[in-house]
Amino acid sequence: MSIGIRVALGINQADPVFRRRNQLRLVAFLSPLAFILLWWWVSRMEIFPTQLLVSPDAVLLAFLELLDSGELWEHLSVSLSRLGTGFLIGASSGLLFGILMALSRTIEDLFAPLFQALRQVPSIALIPIFILLFGIEEVFKVAIVVKAAFFTVALASYESTKGIPRHYFEVAQAYQLPARKLYTSVVIPAILLPVLTGFRIAFARSWTILVAAELLAADSGLGHMMQMGREMFRIDVVMVGVVLTGLIGFGIDRIFKWGEARLIPWRKA
Amino acid sequence: MPQALVGKEISMSALNTVLSFARQQAPQYQLQDRVQRQPGPVDLAIQRVGKTFQLAGENLNVLSDINLDIRSGEFISIVGASGCGKSTLLKLVAGLDTQYEGDIVYQGKRIEGTDLGRGIVFQEHRLFPWLTVEANIELAFSATNVSKPERRKRVQAQIDLVGLSGFEKAYPHQISGGMSQRVAIARALILRPQLLLLDEPFAALDALTRLKLQQELQRLWEHQGLTTILVTHDVEEAVFLGDQVVVMQSHPGRIKRIVPVSLPRPRIRTAPAFHAIRDDVLTDFV
Repeated sequence: MSIGIRVALGINQADPVFRRRNQLRLVAFLSPLAFILLWWWVSRMEIFPTQLLVSPDAVLLAFLELLDSGELWEHLSVSLSRLGTGFLIGASSGLLFGILMALSRTIEDLFAPLFQALRQVPSIALIPIFILLFGIEEVFKVAIVVKAAFFTVALASYESTKGIPRHYFEVAQAYQLPARKLYTSVVIPAILLPVLTGFRIAFARSWTILVAAELLAADSGLGHMMQMGREMFRIDVVMVGVVLTGLIGFGIDRIFKWGEARLIPWRKA
Repeated sequence: MPQALVGKEISMSALNTVLSFARQQAPQYQLQDRVQRQPGPVDLAIQRVGKTFQLAGENLNVLSDINLDIRSGEFISIVGASGCGKSTLLKLVAGLDTQYEGDIVYQGKRIEGTDLGRGIVFQEHRLFPWLTVEANIELAFSATNVSKPERRKRVQAQIDLVGLSGFEKAYPHQISGGMSQRVAIARALILRPQLLLLDEPFAALDALTRLKLQQELQRLWEHQGLTTILVTHDVEEAVFLGDQVVVMQSHPGRIKRIVPVSLPRPRIRTAPAFHAIRDDVLTDFV
Protein backbone atom coordinates (compact mmCIF):
# COMPACT_ATOMS: atom_id res chain seq x y z
CA MET A 1 0.00 0.00 0.00
CA SER A 2 2.63 2.49 1.10
CA ILE A 3 4.70 1.65 -1.95
CA GLY A 4 1.72 2.50 -4.12
CA ILE A 5 1.30 5.83 -2.34
CA ARG A 6 4.95 6.66 -2.74
CA VAL A 7 4.79 5.85 -6.43
CA ALA A 8 1.71 8.03 -6.76
CA LEU A 9 3.45 10.90 -5.00
CA GLY A 10 6.50 10.41 -7.18
CA ILE A 11 4.37 10.87 -10.25
CA ASN A 12 2.89 14.07 -8.86
CA GLN A 13 6.30 15.47 -8.03
CA ALA A 14 7.80 14.53 -11.36
CA ASP A 15 6.63 17.68 -13.09
CA PRO A 16 8.60 20.30 -11.06
CA VAL A 17 11.64 18.00 -11.10
CA PHE A 18 11.50 17.99 -14.86
CA ARG A 19 11.21 21.75 -15.03
CA ARG A 20 14.11 22.19 -12.65
CA ARG A 21 16.22 19.84 -14.74
CA ASN A 22 15.64 22.07 -17.73
CA GLN A 23 16.84 25.20 -15.97
CA LEU A 24 20.44 25.88 -15.08
CA ARG A 25 20.81 26.41 -11.36
CA LEU A 26 23.64 28.20 -9.65
CA VAL A 27 25.53 24.98 -8.83
CA ALA A 28 25.74 24.32 -12.57
CA PHE A 29 28.37 27.05 -12.75
CA LEU A 30 30.54 25.47 -10.07
CA SER A 31 32.29 22.90 -12.25
CA PRO A 32 33.20 25.33 -15.09
CA LEU A 33 34.49 27.77 -12.49
CA ALA A 34 36.58 25.06 -10.83
CA PHE A 35 37.89 24.06 -14.23
CA ILE A 36 39.00 27.63 -15.06
CA LEU A 37 40.63 27.93 -11.65
CA LEU A 38 42.52 24.67 -12.22
CA TRP A 39 43.57 25.88 -15.67
CA TRP A 40 44.71 29.20 -14.22
CA TRP A 41 46.63 27.42 -11.41
CA VAL A 42 48.35 24.95 -13.77
CA SER A 43 49.45 27.76 -16.07
CA ARG A 44 50.70 29.77 -13.07
CA MET A 45 52.76 26.80 -11.84
CA GLU A 46 54.43 26.68 -15.28
CA ILE A 47 54.19 22.88 -15.47
CA PHE A 48 54.00 23.33 -19.23
CA PRO A 49 55.93 26.03 -21.15
CA THR A 50 53.97 29.30 -21.04
CA GLN A 51 53.95 29.51 -24.85
CA LEU A 52 52.04 26.23 -24.96
CA LEU A 53 49.60 26.55 -22.09
CA VAL A 54 48.44 30.14 -21.91
CA SER A 55 46.53 31.34 -18.87
CA PRO A 56 42.78 32.09 -18.95
CA ASP A 57 43.34 35.81 -18.53
CA ALA A 58 45.64 35.85 -21.58
CA VAL A 59 42.89 34.13 -23.55
CA LEU A 60 40.41 36.74 -22.38
CA LEU A 61 42.77 39.51 -23.49
CA ALA A 62 43.19 37.88 -26.89
CA PHE A 63 39.43 37.57 -27.16
CA LEU A 64 38.92 41.28 -26.45
CA GLU A 65 41.63 42.16 -28.92
CA LEU A 66 40.06 40.02 -31.67
CA LEU A 67 36.65 41.45 -30.84
CA ASP A 68 37.98 44.98 -30.99
CA SER A 69 39.65 44.58 -34.37
CA GLY A 70 36.48 43.06 -35.82
CA GLU A 71 38.46 40.03 -36.95
CA LEU A 72 36.60 37.65 -34.66
CA TRP A 73 33.17 38.72 -35.84
CA GLU A 74 34.27 38.29 -39.46
CA HIS A 75 35.40 34.68 -38.90
CA LEU A 76 32.45 33.88 -36.71
CA SER A 77 29.83 35.17 -39.13
CA VAL A 78 31.40 33.20 -42.00
CA SER A 79 31.40 30.00 -39.91
CA LEU A 80 27.86 30.47 -38.69
CA SER A 81 26.48 31.19 -42.15
CA ARG A 82 28.13 28.02 -43.49
CA LEU A 83 26.70 26.09 -40.57
CA GLY A 84 23.23 27.60 -41.01
CA THR A 85 23.05 26.96 -44.75
CA GLY A 86 24.42 23.44 -44.54
CA PHE A 87 22.33 22.46 -41.56
CA LEU A 88 19.13 23.83 -43.06
CA ILE A 89 19.60 21.94 -46.32
CA GLY A 90 20.83 18.75 -44.68
CA ALA A 91 18.30 18.58 -41.86
CA SER A 92 15.22 19.42 -43.95
CA SER A 93 16.08 17.00 -46.75
CA GLY A 94 17.03 14.36 -44.19
CA LEU A 95 13.71 14.79 -42.39
CA LEU A 96 11.73 14.36 -45.58
CA PHE A 97 13.82 11.46 -46.84
CA GLY A 98 13.59 9.62 -43.51
CA ILE A 99 9.78 9.87 -43.37
CA LEU A 100 9.38 8.80 -47.00
CA MET A 101 11.74 5.86 -46.57
CA ALA A 102 9.78 4.71 -43.51
CA LEU A 103 6.34 5.03 -45.11
CA SER A 104 7.05 3.84 -48.66
CA ARG A 105 8.06 0.24 -49.12
CA THR A 106 9.49 0.99 -52.58
CA ILE A 107 11.72 3.82 -51.41
CA GLU A 108 12.86 1.73 -48.48
CA ASP A 109 13.76 -1.23 -50.72
CA LEU A 110 15.58 1.05 -53.13
CA PHE A 111 17.60 3.19 -50.75
CA ALA A 112 17.79 1.64 -47.29
CA PRO A 113 20.92 -0.53 -47.83
CA LEU A 114 22.83 2.29 -49.52
CA PHE A 115 21.71 4.71 -46.84
CA GLN A 116 22.72 2.40 -44.01
CA ALA A 117 26.16 1.85 -45.56
CA LEU A 118 26.84 5.50 -46.36
CA ARG A 119 25.86 6.76 -42.95
CA GLN A 120 28.60 4.60 -41.42
CA VAL A 121 31.29 6.58 -43.26
CA PRO A 122 32.62 9.23 -40.87
CA SER A 123 32.20 12.73 -42.26
CA ILE A 124 35.84 13.47 -41.56
CA ALA A 125 36.91 10.65 -43.88
CA LEU A 126 35.03 12.37 -46.68
CA ILE A 127 36.88 15.67 -46.35
CA PRO A 128 39.66 14.75 -48.86
CA ILE A 129 37.16 13.50 -51.46
CA PHE A 130 34.91 16.50 -50.97
CA ILE A 131 37.90 18.81 -51.47
CA LEU A 132 38.72 17.03 -54.74
CA LEU A 133 35.09 17.20 -55.86
CA PHE A 134 34.04 20.66 -54.70
CA GLY A 135 37.37 22.47 -54.36
CA ILE A 136 38.35 24.24 -51.16
CA GLU A 137 35.83 27.03 -51.53
CA GLU A 138 32.46 27.49 -49.83
CA VAL A 139 30.70 24.60 -51.57
CA PHE A 140 32.96 22.05 -49.94
CA LYS A 141 32.37 23.33 -46.42
CA VAL A 142 28.61 23.59 -46.85
CA ALA A 143 28.56 20.13 -48.45
CA ILE A 144 30.33 18.50 -45.53
CA VAL A 145 27.84 20.09 -43.12
CA VAL A 146 24.95 18.93 -45.31
CA LYS A 147 26.32 15.40 -45.20
CA ALA A 148 26.71 15.39 -41.44
CA ALA A 149 23.22 16.80 -40.83
CA PHE A 150 21.40 14.80 -43.51
CA PHE A 151 22.35 11.33 -42.35
CA THR A 152 21.77 11.97 -38.65
CA VAL A 153 18.36 13.58 -39.14
CA ALA A 154 17.31 11.07 -41.80
CA LEU A 155 18.13 8.19 -39.46
CA ALA A 156 16.20 9.78 -36.59
CA SER A 157 13.11 10.50 -38.68
CA TYR A 158 13.26 7.09 -40.41
CA GLU A 159 13.54 5.12 -37.17
CA SER A 160 10.92 7.17 -35.34
CA THR A 161 8.41 7.02 -38.19
CA LYS A 162 8.91 3.25 -38.32
CA GLY A 163 8.30 3.18 -34.59
CA ILE A 164 4.89 4.89 -34.66
CA PRO A 165 2.56 2.37 -32.97
CA ARG A 166 0.28 0.50 -35.36
CA HIS A 167 -2.53 1.44 -32.98
CA TYR A 168 -2.38 5.01 -34.16
CA PHE A 169 -2.76 3.99 -37.78
CA GLU A 170 -5.75 1.81 -36.87
CA VAL A 171 -7.46 4.79 -35.26
CA ALA A 172 -6.65 6.84 -38.36
CA GLN A 173 -8.12 4.07 -40.50
CA ALA A 174 -11.28 3.81 -38.38
CA TYR A 175 -11.94 7.54 -38.77
CA GLN A 176 -10.77 7.54 -42.40
CA LEU A 177 -8.38 10.43 -41.85
CA PRO A 178 -7.46 12.20 -45.09
CA ALA A 179 -3.74 11.97 -45.98
CA ARG A 180 -2.98 15.57 -45.04
CA LYS A 181 -4.65 15.16 -41.66
CA LEU A 182 -2.79 11.88 -41.14
CA TYR A 183 0.52 13.72 -41.49
CA THR A 184 -0.31 16.86 -39.53
CA SER A 185 -2.22 15.18 -36.70
CA VAL A 186 -0.54 11.79 -36.39
CA VAL A 187 2.81 11.25 -38.11
CA ILE A 188 4.55 14.56 -37.43
CA PRO A 189 3.53 14.94 -33.76
CA ALA A 190 4.42 11.28 -33.15
CA ILE A 191 7.99 11.74 -34.38
CA LEU A 192 8.56 15.30 -33.18
CA LEU A 193 10.46 14.47 -30.01
CA PRO A 194 12.91 11.89 -31.44
CA VAL A 195 13.41 14.08 -34.51
CA LEU A 196 14.26 17.09 -32.36
CA THR A 197 16.80 14.94 -30.52
CA GLY A 198 18.14 13.97 -33.93
CA PHE A 199 18.39 17.67 -34.79
CA ARG A 200 20.44 18.29 -31.67
CA ILE A 201 22.86 15.46 -32.40
CA ALA A 202 23.06 16.45 -36.06
CA PHE A 203 23.79 20.01 -35.08
CA ALA A 204 26.64 18.99 -32.78
CA ARG A 205 28.13 16.83 -35.53
CA SER A 206 27.73 19.56 -38.15
CA TRP A 207 29.43 22.13 -35.97
CA THR A 208 32.43 19.93 -35.12
CA ILE A 209 32.92 18.76 -38.69
CA LEU A 210 32.74 22.34 -39.98
CA VAL A 211 35.42 23.53 -37.56
CA ALA A 212 37.56 20.53 -38.55
CA ALA A 213 37.11 21.31 -42.26
CA GLU A 214 38.02 24.94 -41.65
CA LEU A 215 41.14 23.85 -39.79
CA LEU A 216 42.22 21.80 -42.79
CA ALA A 217 41.33 24.04 -45.69
CA ALA A 218 39.87 27.51 -45.46
CA ASP A 219 40.73 31.16 -45.75
CA SER A 220 38.13 32.30 -43.26
CA GLY A 221 36.03 31.00 -40.41
CA LEU A 222 36.62 30.07 -36.78
CA GLY A 223 38.67 26.98 -37.67
CA HIS A 224 40.85 29.01 -40.00
CA MET A 225 41.40 31.59 -37.28
CA MET A 226 42.63 28.83 -34.97
CA GLN A 227 44.86 27.38 -37.68
CA MET A 228 46.41 30.80 -38.33
CA GLY A 229 46.93 31.28 -34.60
CA ARG A 230 48.76 27.98 -34.40
CA GLU A 231 51.00 28.83 -37.34
CA MET A 232 51.88 32.19 -35.79
CA PHE A 233 52.37 30.58 -32.39
CA ARG A 234 49.51 32.56 -30.93
CA ILE A 235 48.14 29.82 -28.65
CA ASP A 236 45.94 32.42 -26.95
CA VAL A 237 44.11 32.93 -30.28
CA VAL A 238 43.79 29.15 -30.68
CA MET A 239 42.30 28.94 -27.21
CA VAL A 240 39.79 31.70 -28.02
CA GLY A 241 38.63 29.49 -30.89
CA VAL A 242 38.45 26.39 -28.67
CA VAL A 243 36.40 28.15 -26.00
CA LEU A 244 34.07 29.75 -28.56
CA THR A 245 33.51 26.47 -30.36
CA GLY A 246 32.43 24.91 -27.10
CA LEU A 247 30.27 27.82 -26.02
CA ILE A 248 28.48 28.13 -29.36
CA GLY A 249 27.79 24.41 -29.46
CA PHE A 250 26.48 24.51 -25.91
CA GLY A 251 24.39 27.62 -26.52
CA ILE A 252 22.65 26.27 -29.61
CA ASP A 253 22.03 22.97 -27.86
CA ARG A 254 20.26 24.88 -25.10
CA ILE A 255 18.14 26.64 -27.70
CA PHE A 256 17.09 23.26 -29.12
CA LYS A 257 16.20 22.01 -25.64
CA TRP A 258 14.22 25.14 -24.95
CA GLY A 259 12.35 24.71 -28.23
CA GLU A 260 11.68 21.09 -27.36
CA ALA A 261 10.00 22.02 -24.10
CA ARG A 262 7.88 24.70 -25.77
CA LEU A 263 6.89 22.61 -28.79
CA ILE A 264 5.90 19.56 -26.79
CA PRO A 265 3.47 20.56 -24.06
CA TRP A 266 2.06 17.01 -23.90
CA ARG A 267 5.39 15.51 -22.97
CA LYS A 268 5.30 13.62 -19.70
CA ALA A 269 7.89 14.31 -17.05
CA MET B 1 -1.58 -9.03 6.71
CA PRO B 2 -1.95 -10.62 3.29
CA GLN B 3 -2.28 -8.03 0.56
CA ALA B 4 -4.92 -10.03 -1.32
CA LEU B 5 -7.33 -9.87 1.61
CA VAL B 6 -6.99 -6.12 1.96
CA GLY B 7 -7.80 -5.64 -1.69
CA LYS B 8 -10.85 -7.89 -1.45
CA GLU B 9 -12.33 -5.92 1.41
CA ILE B 10 -11.96 -2.69 -0.45
CA SER B 11 -13.55 -3.99 -3.63
CA MET B 12 -16.49 -5.53 -1.71
CA SER B 13 -17.36 -2.28 0.04
CA ALA B 14 -16.89 -0.43 -3.21
CA LEU B 15 -19.24 -2.85 -4.90
CA ASN B 16 -21.90 -2.13 -2.30
CA THR B 17 -21.50 1.61 -2.76
CA VAL B 18 -21.97 1.31 -6.49
CA LEU B 19 -24.89 -1.06 -6.05
CA SER B 20 -26.74 1.24 -3.69
CA PHE B 21 -26.12 4.04 -6.17
CA ALA B 22 -27.61 1.85 -8.89
CA ARG B 23 -30.72 1.18 -6.78
CA GLN B 24 -31.26 4.88 -6.25
CA GLN B 25 -31.13 5.39 -9.96
CA ALA B 26 -33.40 2.44 -10.63
CA PRO B 27 -36.78 4.17 -11.08
CA GLN B 28 -35.33 6.38 -13.78
CA TYR B 29 -33.99 3.38 -15.66
CA GLN B 30 -37.29 1.56 -15.42
CA LEU B 31 -39.01 4.53 -16.96
CA GLN B 32 -36.68 4.33 -19.91
CA ASP B 33 -37.20 0.58 -20.04
CA ARG B 34 -40.86 1.07 -20.85
CA VAL B 35 -40.10 3.16 -23.91
CA GLN B 36 -37.34 0.78 -25.01
CA ARG B 37 -37.80 -0.29 -28.61
CA GLN B 38 -38.45 -3.84 -29.68
CA PRO B 39 -35.51 -5.54 -31.41
CA GLY B 40 -35.61 -4.44 -35.02
CA PRO B 41 -34.65 -6.22 -38.23
CA VAL B 42 -31.31 -7.99 -38.63
CA ASP B 43 -28.72 -5.23 -38.89
CA LEU B 44 -25.55 -7.25 -39.04
CA ALA B 45 -25.29 -10.76 -40.43
CA ILE B 46 -22.12 -12.75 -39.84
CA GLN B 47 -22.21 -15.74 -42.16
CA ARG B 48 -19.77 -18.67 -42.17
CA VAL B 49 -16.92 -16.34 -41.29
CA GLY B 50 -13.42 -17.77 -40.96
CA LYS B 51 -10.02 -16.19 -40.52
CA THR B 52 -6.59 -17.72 -40.93
CA PHE B 53 -3.28 -16.11 -40.03
CA GLN B 54 0.03 -17.08 -41.56
CA LEU B 55 2.46 -17.64 -38.74
CA ALA B 56 6.03 -18.74 -39.53
CA GLY B 57 4.83 -20.54 -42.68
CA GLU B 58 2.03 -22.31 -40.85
CA ASN B 59 -1.66 -21.62 -41.06
CA LEU B 60 -3.24 -20.61 -37.79
CA ASN B 61 -7.00 -20.91 -37.85
CA VAL B 62 -8.26 -18.24 -35.43
CA LEU B 63 -11.91 -18.11 -36.46
CA SER B 64 -13.98 -20.90 -37.91
CA ASP B 65 -17.56 -20.98 -39.14
CA ILE B 66 -18.93 -18.04 -37.19
CA ASN B 67 -22.65 -17.45 -37.74
CA LEU B 68 -24.41 -14.67 -35.89
CA ASP B 69 -27.37 -12.39 -36.59
CA ILE B 70 -27.53 -9.13 -34.70
CA ARG B 71 -30.74 -7.14 -34.68
CA SER B 72 -30.98 -3.40 -34.71
CA GLY B 73 -30.86 -1.96 -31.19
CA GLU B 74 -29.56 -5.15 -29.60
CA PHE B 75 -26.73 -5.35 -27.10
CA ILE B 76 -24.58 -8.41 -27.78
CA SER B 77 -21.83 -9.52 -25.42
CA ILE B 78 -19.16 -11.85 -26.70
CA VAL B 79 -17.20 -13.67 -23.99
CA GLY B 80 -14.28 -16.01 -24.33
CA ALA B 81 -10.86 -16.77 -22.98
CA SER B 82 -7.94 -14.82 -24.43
CA GLY B 83 -6.91 -16.18 -27.81
CA CYS B 84 -10.39 -17.31 -28.83
CA GLY B 85 -10.48 -14.79 -31.68
CA LYS B 86 -13.15 -12.52 -30.25
CA SER B 87 -11.11 -9.36 -30.82
CA THR B 88 -10.24 -10.55 -34.32
CA LEU B 89 -13.95 -10.95 -35.04
CA LEU B 90 -14.61 -7.40 -33.85
CA LYS B 91 -11.83 -6.07 -36.07
CA LEU B 92 -13.44 -7.77 -39.05
CA VAL B 93 -16.80 -6.17 -38.23
CA ALA B 94 -15.07 -2.79 -37.84
CA GLY B 95 -13.56 -3.23 -41.30
CA LEU B 96 -10.00 -2.80 -40.03
CA ASP B 97 -9.14 -6.18 -41.53
CA THR B 98 -10.84 -7.19 -44.77
CA GLN B 99 -9.05 -10.48 -45.39
CA TYR B 100 -11.55 -13.11 -44.26
CA GLU B 101 -13.63 -15.99 -45.53
CA GLY B 102 -17.41 -15.91 -45.56
CA ASP B 103 -19.53 -12.77 -45.42
CA ILE B 104 -20.15 -10.04 -42.91
CA VAL B 105 -23.13 -8.09 -44.15
CA TYR B 106 -23.97 -4.79 -42.53
CA GLN B 107 -27.19 -3.07 -43.57
CA GLY B 108 -27.31 -5.12 -46.73
CA LYS B 109 -23.70 -4.56 -47.81
CA ARG B 110 -20.65 -6.81 -47.38
CA ILE B 111 -18.04 -5.11 -45.17
CA GLU B 112 -15.03 -4.12 -47.27
CA GLY B 113 -13.50 -1.43 -45.07
CA THR B 114 -14.10 0.94 -42.22
CA ASP B 115 -17.25 3.03 -42.05
CA LEU B 116 -17.97 6.17 -40.06
CA GLY B 117 -21.33 4.62 -39.18
CA ARG B 118 -19.55 1.99 -37.09
CA GLY B 119 -17.75 3.36 -34.04
CA ILE B 120 -15.08 1.39 -32.21
CA VAL B 121 -13.52 1.60 -28.75
CA PHE B 122 -10.34 -0.37 -28.06
CA GLN B 123 -8.97 -1.87 -24.87
CA GLU B 124 -6.41 0.93 -24.65
CA HIS B 125 -7.95 4.36 -25.05
CA ARG B 126 -5.76 5.11 -28.09
CA LEU B 127 -6.07 8.85 -27.68
CA PHE B 128 -3.33 10.88 -29.30
CA PRO B 129 -1.14 12.22 -26.47
CA TRP B 130 -0.44 15.46 -28.36
CA LEU B 131 -4.11 16.38 -28.72
CA THR B 132 -6.33 17.75 -25.97
CA VAL B 133 -9.50 15.94 -24.95
CA GLU B 134 -11.65 18.04 -27.27
CA ALA B 135 -9.18 17.86 -30.17
CA ASN B 136 -9.04 14.07 -29.86
CA ILE B 137 -12.82 13.87 -30.14
CA GLU B 138 -13.01 16.44 -32.90
CA LEU B 139 -10.51 14.45 -34.97
CA ALA B 140 -13.34 12.00 -35.71
CA PHE B 141 -14.93 14.66 -37.95
CA SER B 142 -11.89 14.81 -40.26
CA ALA B 143 -13.49 12.85 -43.09
CA THR B 144 -16.89 14.54 -42.81
CA ASN B 145 -18.12 17.90 -44.07
CA VAL B 146 -19.74 18.94 -40.80
CA SER B 147 -19.19 22.67 -40.29
CA LYS B 148 -16.71 23.94 -37.74
CA PRO B 149 -19.25 25.51 -35.34
CA GLU B 150 -21.40 22.39 -35.54
CA ARG B 151 -18.35 20.24 -34.67
CA ARG B 152 -17.61 22.43 -31.67
CA LYS B 153 -21.19 22.20 -30.46
CA ARG B 154 -21.39 18.44 -30.79
CA VAL B 155 -17.99 17.86 -29.17
CA GLN B 156 -19.03 19.95 -26.18
CA ALA B 157 -22.35 18.13 -25.89
CA GLN B 158 -20.60 14.75 -26.07
CA ILE B 159 -18.05 15.79 -23.44
CA ASP B 160 -20.92 16.83 -21.16
CA LEU B 161 -22.70 13.54 -21.83
CA VAL B 162 -19.74 11.43 -20.69
CA GLY B 163 -19.27 13.67 -17.65
CA LEU B 164 -15.99 15.34 -18.55
CA SER B 165 -17.02 19.01 -18.56
CA GLY B 166 -14.09 21.13 -17.47
CA PHE B 167 -11.49 18.77 -18.94
CA GLU B 168 -11.83 19.94 -22.55
CA LYS B 169 -8.32 21.39 -22.69
CA ALA B 170 -6.59 18.61 -20.72
CA TYR B 171 -4.05 16.33 -22.36
CA PRO B 172 -4.52 12.56 -22.00
CA HIS B 173 -1.59 12.22 -19.59
CA GLN B 174 -3.27 14.69 -17.25
CA ILE B 175 -6.42 12.62 -16.77
CA SER B 176 -7.00 9.15 -15.33
CA GLY B 177 -7.35 5.89 -17.26
CA GLY B 178 -11.10 5.82 -16.67
CA MET B 179 -11.50 9.38 -17.93
CA SER B 180 -9.37 8.60 -20.99
CA GLN B 181 -11.61 5.66 -21.80
CA ARG B 182 -14.64 7.95 -21.52
CA VAL B 183 -13.02 10.28 -24.01
CA ALA B 184 -12.47 7.29 -26.30
CA ILE B 185 -16.16 6.39 -25.97
CA ALA B 186 -17.11 10.00 -26.70
CA ARG B 187 -14.90 9.91 -29.81
CA ALA B 188 -16.60 6.71 -30.96
CA LEU B 189 -20.08 8.18 -30.43
CA ILE B 190 -19.53 11.69 -31.79
CA LEU B 191 -20.39 10.70 -35.38
CA ARG B 192 -23.65 9.14 -34.12
CA PRO B 193 -22.89 5.63 -35.38
CA GLN B 194 -25.66 3.06 -35.54
CA LEU B 195 -23.30 0.30 -34.50
CA LEU B 196 -20.90 0.57 -31.58
CA LEU B 197 -18.06 -1.94 -31.26
CA LEU B 198 -16.29 -2.31 -27.93
CA ASP B 199 -13.13 -4.37 -27.64
CA GLU B 200 -12.62 -5.09 -23.93
CA PRO B 201 -13.03 -1.38 -23.24
CA PHE B 202 -12.84 -1.66 -19.45
CA ALA B 203 -10.29 -4.45 -19.08
CA ALA B 204 -7.43 -2.11 -18.20
CA LEU B 205 -9.38 -0.18 -15.56
CA ASP B 206 -9.63 -0.73 -11.82
CA ALA B 207 -12.70 -2.56 -10.45
CA LEU B 208 -14.47 0.57 -9.21
CA THR B 209 -14.08 2.55 -12.39
CA ARG B 210 -15.11 -0.50 -14.39
CA LEU B 211 -18.43 -0.81 -12.52
CA LYS B 212 -19.11 2.87 -12.98
CA LEU B 213 -18.36 2.84 -16.69
CA GLN B 214 -20.50 -0.26 -17.21
CA GLN B 215 -23.42 1.69 -15.80
CA GLU B 216 -22.64 4.66 -17.97
CA LEU B 217 -22.37 2.49 -21.05
CA GLN B 218 -25.81 1.07 -20.33
CA ARG B 219 -27.18 4.59 -19.98
CA LEU B 220 -25.60 5.68 -23.28
CA TRP B 221 -26.90 2.59 -25.04
CA GLU B 222 -30.46 3.20 -23.84
CA HIS B 223 -30.20 6.90 -24.56
CA GLN B 224 -28.91 6.62 -28.13
CA GLY B 225 -30.60 3.48 -29.42
CA LEU B 226 -27.36 1.92 -30.53
CA THR B 227 -26.73 -1.57 -31.72
CA THR B 228 -23.77 -2.63 -29.61
CA ILE B 229 -21.28 -5.47 -29.67
CA LEU B 230 -19.13 -5.81 -26.56
CA VAL B 231 -16.17 -8.16 -26.53
CA THR B 232 -15.02 -9.05 -23.02
CA HIS B 233 -13.52 -11.78 -20.88
CA ASP B 234 -15.51 -10.62 -17.87
CA VAL B 235 -18.58 -12.88 -17.63
CA GLU B 236 -20.35 -10.65 -15.12
CA GLU B 237 -19.90 -7.65 -17.38
CA ALA B 238 -21.25 -9.64 -20.32
CA VAL B 239 -24.36 -10.71 -18.42
CA PHE B 240 -24.89 -7.27 -16.84
CA LEU B 241 -24.96 -5.51 -20.20
CA GLY B 242 -25.97 -7.99 -22.90
CA ASP B 243 -29.35 -8.97 -24.34
CA GLN B 244 -27.53 -12.07 -25.44
CA VAL B 245 -24.20 -13.52 -24.37
CA VAL B 246 -22.26 -15.24 -27.11
CA VAL B 247 -19.85 -17.77 -25.61
CA MET B 248 -16.76 -18.48 -27.69
CA GLN B 249 -14.32 -21.37 -27.64
CA SER B 250 -10.69 -21.45 -28.69
CA HIS B 251 -8.59 -23.38 -31.27
CA PRO B 252 -10.12 -22.58 -33.62
CA GLY B 253 -12.25 -19.69 -32.39
CA ARG B 254 -15.90 -20.65 -32.75
CA ILE B 255 -19.24 -19.99 -31.12
CA LYS B 256 -20.06 -22.53 -28.44
CA ARG B 257 -23.52 -21.29 -27.59
CA ILE B 258 -25.66 -18.19 -27.21
CA VAL B 259 -27.25 -17.44 -23.83
CA PRO B 260 -30.20 -15.04 -23.82
CA VAL B 261 -30.42 -12.69 -20.84
CA SER B 262 -34.04 -11.73 -20.36
CA LEU B 263 -33.64 -9.93 -17.05
CA PRO B 264 -35.12 -6.42 -16.79
CA ARG B 265 -32.71 -3.51 -16.75
CA PRO B 266 -30.91 -2.29 -14.79
CA ARG B 267 -29.81 -5.68 -13.66
CA ILE B 268 -29.11 -6.29 -10.00
CA ARG B 269 -25.77 -8.04 -9.68
CA THR B 270 -26.73 -9.59 -6.35
CA ALA B 271 -30.06 -11.00 -7.57
CA PRO B 272 -30.35 -14.82 -7.68
CA ALA B 273 -31.59 -14.75 -11.28
CA PHE B 274 -28.49 -12.77 -12.29
CA HIS B 275 -26.25 -15.24 -10.47
CA ALA B 276 -27.94 -18.17 -12.14
CA ILE B 277 -27.18 -16.86 -15.62
CA ARG B 278 -23.65 -15.81 -14.71
CA ASP B 279 -22.88 -19.19 -13.15
CA ASP B 280 -24.35 -20.94 -16.13
CA VAL B 281 -22.05 -19.06 -18.50
CA LEU B 282 -19.08 -19.61 -16.18
CA THR B 283 -19.50 -23.38 -16.43
CA ASP B 284 -18.22 -23.06 -19.98
CA PHE B 285 -14.86 -21.87 -18.67
CA VAL B 286 -14.21 -23.73 -15.42
